[in-house]
Amino acid sequence: MSITRRVFLRNGGLAVIGTAAVPSFLARAAYAAEPVGAKNKRLVVIFQRGAADGLNIVVPHGERAYYAMRPSINIPRNQVIDLDGFFGLHPSLSPFQPLWKQRHLAIVHAAGSPDPTRSHFDAQDFMESGTPSVKATEDGWLNRSLHSLPSPAPTDQSAFRAIALGPSLPRILSGSEPAIAINNINEFGVGGNNPKGTPNANTFEAMYEHSVDSVLHGTGQETFDAVKMLRSADPAKYKPAAGADYPNGRFGDSLKQLAQLIKANLGVQVAFADIGGWDHHVNEGSTQGQIANVLHEFSQSLGAFWTDLGDLAEDTVVVTMSEFGRTARENGNRGTDHGHANVMFVMGGPVKGGKVYGRWPGLDQSQLYEGRDLAVTTDFRQVLGEAVYKHLGNKALNQVFPGFDNQPGKFLSIWDKTTTQLSRRRLPP
Amino acid sequence: MKLERLQVGTVLLLSLLGFGASVQLAVGKKKEKQASAAAQMDQRKQAVHALNRLAFGPRPGDVDHVMAIGVDNWIDQQLHPDKIDDNALDARLSPFRTLRMNTHEIVENFPSEQMIKAIADGRQSLPSDPQKRAIYQAQLERYQNKEDRKQQTAVAGPDKMADDERFLRLQERMNADQKVEDLLDMPPDERMKTLLKMSPEDQRLVTDSLQGDKRDEFLEGMNPRQRETVEAINHPQQVVNNELVEGKLLRAIYSNRQLQEVMTDFWFNHFNVFLGKGADHYLLTSYERDVIRPSALGKFEDLLVATAQSPAMLFYLDNWLSVGPNSDVANGIPKRANNDWKRRVRNNGQTNQSKGKRNGLNENYGRELMELHTLGVNGGYTQQDVTEVARVFTGWTLKQPNLGGGFTFEERTHEPGDKTVLGHRIKPKGEKEGLEVLHILAHHPSTAKFVCTKLAVRFVSDDPPQALVDRMAQTFLKKDASIREVLKTMLDSPEFWAPDAYRAKVKTPLEFVVSAVRASGAEVTDAMPIAHQLQNMGMPLYGMQPPTGYSMKADAWVNSSALLGRMNFALALTSGKVKGVQVDSEQLPVRNDPQQALAALENALLSGDVSKQTNDAIAARLQDSKISRRKLDDPARPPNISLIAGLLLGSPEFQRR
Repeated sequence: MSITRRVFLRNGGLAVIGTAAVPSFLARAAYAAEPVGAKNKRLVVIFQRGAADGLNIVVPHGERAYYAMRPSINIPRNQVIDLDGFFGLHPSLSPFQPLWKQRHLAIVHAAGSPDPTRSHFDAQDFMESGTPSVKATEDGWLNRSLHSLPSPAPTDQSAFRAIALGPSLPRILSGSEPAIAINNINEFGVGGNNPKGTPNANTFEAMYEHSVDSVLHGTGQETFDAVKMLRSADPAKYKPAAGADYPNGRFGDSLKQLAQLIKANLGVQVAFADIGGWDHHVNEGSTQGQIANVLHEFSQSLGAFWTDLGDLAEDTVVVTMSEFGRTARENGNRGTDHGHANVMFVMGGPVKGGKVYGRWPGLDQSQLYEGRDLAVTTDFRQVLGEAVYKHLGNKALNQVFPGFDNQPGKFLSIWDKTTTQLSRRRLPP
Repeated sequence: MKLERLQVGTVLLLSLLGFGASVQLAVGKKKEKQASAAAQMDQRKQAVHALNRLAFGPRPGDVDHVMAIGVDNWIDQQLHPDKIDDNALDARLSPFRTLRMNTHEIVENFPSEQMIKAIADGRQSLPSDPQKRAIYQAQLERYQNKEDRKQQTAVAGPDKMADDERFLRLQERMNADQKVEDLLDMPPDERMKTLLKMSPEDQRLVTDSLQGDKRDEFLEGMNPRQRETVEAINHPQQVVNNELVEGKLLRAIYSNRQLQEVMTDFWFNHFNVFLGKGADHYLLTSYERDVIRPSALGKFEDLLVATAQSPAMLFYLDNWLSVGPNSDVANGIPKRANNDWKRRVRNNGQTNQSKGKRNGLNENYGRELMELHTLGVNGGYTQQDVTEVARVFTGWTLKQPNLGGGFTFEERTHEPGDKTVLGHRIKPKGEKEGLEVLHILAHHPSTAKFVCTKLAVRFVSDDPPQALVDRMAQTFLKKDASIREVLKTMLDSPEFWAPDAYRAKVKTPLEFVVSAVRASGAEVTDAMPIAHQLQNMGMPLYGMQPPTGYSMKADAWVNSSALLGRMNFALALTSGKVKGVQVDSEQLPVRNDPQQALAALENALLSGDVSKQTNDAIAARLQDSKISRRKLDDPARPPNISLIAGLLLGSPEFQRR
């Protein structure tokens, strides 16, 4: 069989990896040399698909209107995990509490997209393309965030540089930078993740490598590169650290596997995982019920991920997003309909946490967007732009978020010492 | 059918290749339209193309059959599925009783948790039929057991329970394993009788422990009803869901009414409902059978109305809970004999905020109806239209969805007064307001464009020619939104038959898996393992949670995990490692010479459309004596056909249709 060109370039003399079993010490050595520059920085993006109800996640318990508009699904003041006397976490987010106290967790409230759509599909698309209202954008912003990083040496390029956990590659990672989707690291290979590789894999590789089918050819090559790297790094041997209790379910599995890939030093730079089940039109629940359950899975998984990474968390930043928020008022079925602004979590070593960022627009009738939803006061691209600029070190934000004036002067300074405190209008009732 | 194709040169060429006999039928049609030979597919390619696009790919012999009767005739048959005999399929589906039951019967035979709770609370009684009764009793026992545990945990706390609990469970499991062994020693009928005589607790424990091979062994020799009962004692709802999934796969693989199945899949996906949402576990059998399939080639408006009134959709998009803010129910007005909506004045005041589960509008259906079912997201509607449509559909609700009740119009929750939708004034007339809105939407130019684009993406290309979509949309508007007529316009178009359309679409996981099973001529005795493969490839059947349905474009499906999944499935399929699926070697050509074997398989599985790269990669592999099985002492032994077939089904070429 032939070794794909890219693996050869990337790994120089260690191209032998593709051919057969490599002693694990050699494989480790091959990947021990991390990329230069922003080499160790990792950005993990979490998408809460289905429009999470930000007002019941980071609760404005100092707002009278919040309780008036949500008679049956509010989170009572005495049950929130208070953050600053005005905002509080939903009680199911208790795994976030230590992170907040250690100032590794920042919150941006009333963030979102300027596009008014209330379509899940369109809004997700815009948030993943990074270009609200522009449908023609072909690639995703997370892919572009790797674009113009200061010319990495060929050896910097790992097949795992950009990965999505799940059965398919999401819009956010599609584009010209090689990116892969991985559903289950133990089944990632032809005939399973056989340490020896298989003749069948080699035959398929030869077919796809030389295929004139541009779509399948490119994906095939990325796939086989990744299979080989994974085989030699054997991330499955990295078991969760003590205290990292991932809950059952797809999201917990995704983060557990992501931690394994990071710990196996596979050169992960940007990663994506998603969690569904937020579209609570009916019987949303409050401290118990649907939203409590999904929040529990969400925070438990992220908390375990944080614990699991240990020292590696220092160079890791997790940003969460959801396509839009939900109506400020509950609807007729003790649920909420599609709304506008939402809440984002930013978590990580270099984050200046323990603060709620952004300007709080208020929940009075006159302050609501279109008379029904929390207004957007922070464009989601401001938050992501700062992550890309300061954490990944990509200064070409006009390429990552084209058409958006995203200058460092406009950042919320989540990474800096100088922070803009959230302005609050109202005193607790 | 006016299809442009067939060249004399091609006929000669095909005759030389030995296909002459079947070609002659189609000669002579539409000669004037046959522009240049280069711009046409040859007749064999047309047959392959039709089978790839209008069916789930060819089965062994299909291409020759279509050529023999003529592509036009075959298409014409497919457009009229009622005239196609499908008895063989019906026989395959006969063991799946739920596929023939109405929703009420399904719920009654395979009780939901609500039904069991109703019995536990004394609101319902147990059935008398012994098999049915066993199913109920096991569920009751399971329910009580769960309740007891909840109680114990509440009293003792979760940690204290752990050790005692673990010991108890271990004992139970060992006990059950012994009982299973005893049962396995009996002949099937006696095994069933003994199981039915056991205490509900033992039944639960025994069926719980039936996993994998043990389960297969246990079910061996039982008739379909008996098998179903065993599965239902374990998990009744699972029986309903599995039969639905198996039915879909068996139809896709074996139905002679292929276009109808392709269109049923298309419309189900267009009007997507997620199996995992509460009562929808029980509602999809009827939804697909009674709502989608009968109108799959009929009138779009019929489909739209049928989906709007279907329990599955009403439940999935929450419309059954939507209540007019000024309706009688919202205003707390008690039932009265004369409910005259015309006399009521619309009250624009505050929404009634009184307690109660249902007291206001739910926009979910109203929005998706316009965004996903009809106009498309840029189809020219506003948030105000969404709210107005939601008002129109208040009162479209369900009677006891968890117990199998159907659609009903409930005037007391219907919003009174005029509504304005897309500039049309909708006068108060109860249920008929919804029908009026559906009529407007079904015949709206935006709907024509949106639906026809989607059809063209499914059948023609990921980025279909605008001129084709426009012609289809014109037909849609002119011919009363007849789906059959729209398809005819598409099938008459040069764009559909353009050579660059040939094998241009990347298969979705469903299309890939089904086409591979079809191409290999496999015999499927259990389709569930195939369904599990689809789950791993990111396309669980009936498992798309958001209402958008699955994408039919390449970029959604071409990625590392999925590609590996396809290669692995291909190899597993042909080597007999997909449980419940047997590839009959009789169906595949066998040649003793390895290179000839490869050529014959390329023809059989891919009509010879194999690139040099793929051919070379496999040919190189055939040098290996393990594959060629060529040994000095046994030169006549045929090569490993199943491996070659697996490599071909996993090749880049087979990923396209």
